[in-house]
Amino acid sequence: MIGKLLRADFLKIKRKGLWFLSFLGPFGVIALQMVNYGVRKDYLLNQSDDDWGYFLEYVHSFTPLALVLGIAILTSFMASIENETNAWKQLISLPVSKMSVYLSKFMVLGSLLFVSSLLLGVFSLGYGILLNLGDQIPYLELLKYSFYPYLAALPILALQLWIASVSQNQGIPITTGVLGVIFAYSAFILPDWMIWKWPSLMNEWDEPLINVMLGIGVGTLLYIVGMLDFTRRDVK
Amino acid sequence: MVSILQSEWFKFRHSKIMFIILTVPIIGIFLGFTSRFSNEDFEINEWYLSLLSMNLTYALLFLPLITGVLASAICRYEHQAGGWKQLLALPVTRGRVFIAKYVLLIVLVLVMQVLFFVAVYIVGMIKGFTDPFPMVIVWKSLVGGWVATLPLIALQLWMSILFKSFAAPFAINVILTLPTILVVNSERFSSFYPWAQPFLMMYIGGETGDTFYVPWVQLLTVVGGSFILFFVGGYLYFQRKAV
Amino acid sequence: MEYVVQTTNLSKRFGKESAVIGLDMKIRKGEIYGFLGPNGAGKTTTIRMLLGLMKASSGTIQIFEKDLNKEKINILKRVGSLVENPSYYPHLTAYENLEALRKILGVPKTRIHEVLEIVRLTEVANKKVKGFSLGMKQRLGIAASLLNSPELLILDEPTNGLDPSGIIEIRNLIKQLPAETGMTILISSHLLTEIDQMATTVGIVTKGKMIYQDSIESLRMYAQQKVLLKVSDSEQAWRSLLGNGIKADWEDGIILLSEHSDGKVAKAIHTLVHEGYSIYRVEEEKRSLEDIFLQMTTREKVI
Repeated sequence: MIGKLLRADFLKIKRKGLWFLSFLGPFGVIALQMVNYGVRKDYLLNQSDDDWGYFLEYVHSFTPLALVLGIAILTSFMASIENETNAWKQLISLPVSKMSVYLSKFMVLGSLLFVSSLLLGVFSLGYGILLNLGDQIPYLELLKYSFYPYLAALPILALQLWIASVSQNQGIPITTGVLGVIFAYSAFILPDWMIWKWPSLMNEWDEPLINVMLGIGVGTLLYIVGMLDFTRRDVK
Repeated sequence: MVSILQSEWFKFRHSKIMFIILTVPIIGIFLGFTSRFSNEDFEINEWYLSLLSMNLTYALLFLPLITGVLASAICRYEHQAGGWKQLLALPVTRGRVFIAKYVLLIVLVLVMQVLFFVAVYIVGMIKGFTDPFPMVIVWKSLVGGWVATLPLIALQLWMSILFKSFAAPFAINVILTLPTILVVNSERFSSFYPWAQPFLMMYIGGETGDTFYVPWVQLLTVVGGSFILFFVGGYLYFQRKAV
Repeated sequence: MEYVVQTTNLSKRFGKESAVIGLDMKIRKGEIYGFLGPNGAGKTTTIRMLLGLMKASSGTIQIFEKDLNKEKINILKRVGSLVENPSYYPHLTAYENLEALRKILGVPKTRIHEVLEIVRLTEVANKKVKGFSLGMKQRLGIAASLLNSPELLILDEPTNGLDPSGIIEIRNLIKQLPAETGMTILISSHLLTEIDQMATTVGIVTKGKMIYQDSIESLRMYAQQKVLLKVSDSEQAWRSLLGNGIKADWEDGIILLSEHSDGKVAKAIHTLVHEGYSIYRVEEEKRSLEDIFLQMTTREKVI
């Protein structure tokens, strides 16, 4: 059943620019570094012996912000496709469970963001090579900086999807996204329990993997809570 | 004109978008309590440091983003169930409707500016600041941030009229706002980038010789120029929009 | 008796307000059930509950003799629906809209062309729905509801927004379906004439309560009401009818016979002629179904 729903959902996001935005996110993050390194490459390369590491740190300073805002935008788009002509009622009166409808939406968003993360890795690698940052390409670090933030951001995705799918007014999830990005921007002073801190991969133990684990765990939990609330509600 | 404004205000009051405005003091208080500078090492007015750090995030990200949400919110009830056609079938000109929406927005943003500085003051009081509240600086920063946002609001209104969904104009807003974080590091680029102007005009560490922390020339050309571009663009688009 | 739809004591409350109160709906196989009531009577709320879009506050729903709460998905596989305004994805074409639904329903692709043909949208199949007229969108909604060849078709105000030729077309389509496919149809409307021309059974709801549920013929029986007699010396004539055991009313110089079978009318006339009254006119007062509907829904009780 979920396979059918996924195919239908991927058809519905056609021409809505969601794929384009999934590309634009990582491209924008790297483009900012293109400008940054383009303007003051020599200065930046002098800052550290580990040029790759320094470059990835810079890339990563924008990743959480792009991720938080990207999630808010994609989830809201996803919900507004059904909200626009109240197609929820048509969708829910098909022989599918509400749980699988919700799961399908989550999986489509998860796939889009996965593609974004993958592209982020590819773009980082490409621009890094272009910058001549050295032959010692830290593939493992590259993978970590591309996918850890994504996994650590799963609770934000679950929360935004929940809010977007139960809100008639998409101003509510978008406003939540704005608050989220302010939190993400202030990550280094946020307490460790705030989900918006996690994509920054910072914590008091300095162990990014904790954020990833928390992301997956709490993300699953928030997903379930959101899904249960979604199934409980009447469809207008 | 007055009646259109009254009608706009009425519609706004009865929509549940007050909550967007209420995020301003929340963020203000959050930023105040997570203020990054400690003033123990400095011999300057405690308020300055508080303002410096709070204004940074507020003007850099929050203000440009939230005004976009607000612009979409006041267009939402027109996009729903054919509000535009009903509104424009009334004996009003499209130009006046556009101006009324814009005026409502800039008044709301002014209210947000005031609320933000009220939050700054409250945080200072709670923290027990004893230095005199720098009224002149706050006043300049409040008005300066507001003026610098005027062109952004014009573009946001344009985009909100163009797109039905919240997500599309917001995406555009994000794409234009995020680079500011990088742009403000460069004095050369930041003076030309409209999205950097709210930050520059609220950055109390800026050139104190200038009335609004930026040169008048910059204010007139960058802020004024982008305002004319976006406002006229939106105005003309709305004239031709098929509803 | 096998009921395709059977609700028992179905109720729905929104906060303090009751939208549907103790509704017992019974629909037999192959019927076209006209669900009639003024706007805001609770028709759409009932339909939403039948489709599992809303949970009932109390009462049970059985469709195909299965409990909706327990076997929702199995039931919905055999149901097609169009609720209120048609839902569609404006950025997709008519074909793609149906394709998005078809993927979930798992019916063959040829079915898309079939339903497009049925509602005569084949020519615009590859145009975006954004530019469709209201009637075209409505027809697309009906096409969507037919996609899974349902055994039960639920249409909420399906002729809303259609032009007269569109209405006739949809009406003919709806009439054909049970005959051709054995489909059972629940169709709601606030217009009695609409229902009168299609339905075999009628349920009338007002203020959340079912006030009438029977065949359309029984409803029509109410339409032939009284036989009016205009006679000389009417009050006296009336008394003599009563004296002869014939039920009648007297109003403004006119005698109204409440029993109006041919025999009873003949007997009354015979009696009057026999007693020497002159009979000027014998008329049948036909009340329109509209009158009955209006009277039912405003008085809120069964006649």
